[in-house]
This record gives sequence, C-alpha cells and structure tokens, in this order.
Amino acid sequence: MFRDVVILLVEDDLGDQKLIEKSLNNERILNELITVNDAENALQYLQRCQDGEKESPRPDLILLDLNMPGMGGKEFLSRIKNNPELNDIPVVVLTTSDSEQDVLESYKLQASGYIKKPVTLQGFQEVMKDLEEYWFVVCKNFPQRQLS
Amino acid sequence: MQNSKNIVVLIVEDDPIDQKSIERAFSNQEMIDRVSVVSSAEEALGYLNRSKEQDGDSPRPNLILLDLALPGMQGKEFLKCIKEDEQLCSIPVVVLTASDNDADIEQSYKLYAAGYAQKPLNAAELDNIVKKLVKYWFTTSSLL
Repeated sequence: MFRDVVILLVEDDLGDQKLIEKSLNNERILNELITVNDAENALQYLQRCQDGEKESPRPDLILLDLNMPGMGGKEFLSRIKNNPELNDIPVVVLTTSDSEQDVLESYKLQASGYIKKPVTLQGFQEVMKDLEEYWFVVCKNFPQRQLS
Repeated sequence: MQNSKNIVVLIVEDDPIDQKSIERAFSNQEMIDRVSVVSSAEEALGYLNRSKEQDGDSPRPNLILLDLALPGMQGKEFLKCIKEDEQLCSIPVVVLTASDNDADIEQSYKLYAAGYAQKPLNAAELDNIVKKLVKYWFTTSSLL
C-alpha cells in the first residue's frame, strides 16, 4: 500500500505556517502536513507516533524552526537525534537566522539541511519544491514507498 | 550565500565506471568548484585527516557522496567514523549506492546520512539526480 508523505512542521509563527502550507503543493507528491506550534507539542506528537496511534502517522521529514517559545529548535533536534527510535527521521531546519553559529550547530546536531526562510510566497514555493524533489524523488525514505 | 565560496564535493566510490560518471555529473554543475574522488573509505579518511591540517591539496569537502559497498572498510562503518569525529561530523554525507534494501536505508539514516539515493541505471537519470541534489544542498540549503 502506498501512502502519502507525512511532513511534521514545527513552527510557532502563524504567518509562516500558512506560507509553508500554501507552498507544499508539488503536484507530483501527495503530502500530509501536520503543524505544531512548539517543540513540546512536537515531542508529544512523536510520542503518540511511537505509541502507534493511528491518527498520528510517523513523519517522513521534520521541518524545524529554530526560534520558538519554550524549548528551542536546537534542543529539540538534539533530543530527536539522540533517540534511537526517532533518529532516522531527517530534520531540516527552516529559520530566519543565517548566523554561521546556528548553521554550524545545526549541522553538528545532524540537521539534514539548513534553509533560510525566504521573504516571499514565490520564494517559499521554490524552496519547498527543491526540498520535495530532493527528499521524495531523489532520496529513498524508510520505510520505503513508491511515489508515482 | 554560497556563491562566494569554493564548493568541494568528495566522492567515495570504488567502481571505476561509476567514479567517472558521478564525477562527470558533478563537474557539469556550474557551482561546484572541485570534485575529489577516492576509491575507498580508508583513502577518504586519509583525505579528511589531511583536510583538518589545512592541506591545500585536500580542501575540506562541503558534502560527501558515499557508496556503501566498498573494499576494506564499508560505507556504513565510514559514516559512523565521520559522525563520531567532532571536527568532521558537521559535513553532510549522502549515500549513493546500488542497494535499495530496507535495512541499508534504515541503518544509513540511523547513522545520520543526510539522504539516501539509489544509483540510477543511465547517465541521463544520474545527471537529473545530481542536478537536484546540488540544487538542494548548494542553493536551497546554507552550508558552512
């Protein structure tokens, strides 16, 4: 059985949530976008996935903002990558920061990409298209599924 | 952000025919300044150790392309070495291999591969994959 690609978006800004939702519409890929407002909610969501809850499908990819209220994005990234049940899920940082320090720390924590948020809808669309093409056309994911 | 930088890709691949075609596909991409090819994981580690000493002939790669089935040290063992090395762990490693079995895919991601692509059957498909890969890593993403 083929299923849609599941993307978990961890983002507190409502405007950016909308822009990303609008931009994830590559017609080659069916995706289900699950949005949570902070890292704590993302961890709870992932716990429900691990518990096998049907309405909480395991994400194939996590899109992560760095600056969030409460637990920061880097702390969340570190927890995911140190959890043997979750560390195979690619986490792509999507943030307004382009400080070299943030880029370096994110890669050291095993982010699978670091994308600076574009400022226009068109910019978001281009970025999301490249991201989908790389992760869901070029790359094979686990568990494997075929995309037509 | 990347345009001002010298972009270096290291390819770890033992098959001479694959070496040539992958090297060519990367060299065709305008933004890549240098493609270095090594035939084994041991050679790759030698290269990366020289890059730590700022050896001008072995510039630090921005991205590593890794075959899994290698003579001597295997691709996964190499991946583990890189990701345990404080100075090297920030370099994204993308697996490019003939295998598409679930265990290889899962284990590679667990060892923090930053992508897993299966080697395509023809040159046109390889060019297409490399083009998308280069776009993602060097235009869409910021690298160090």
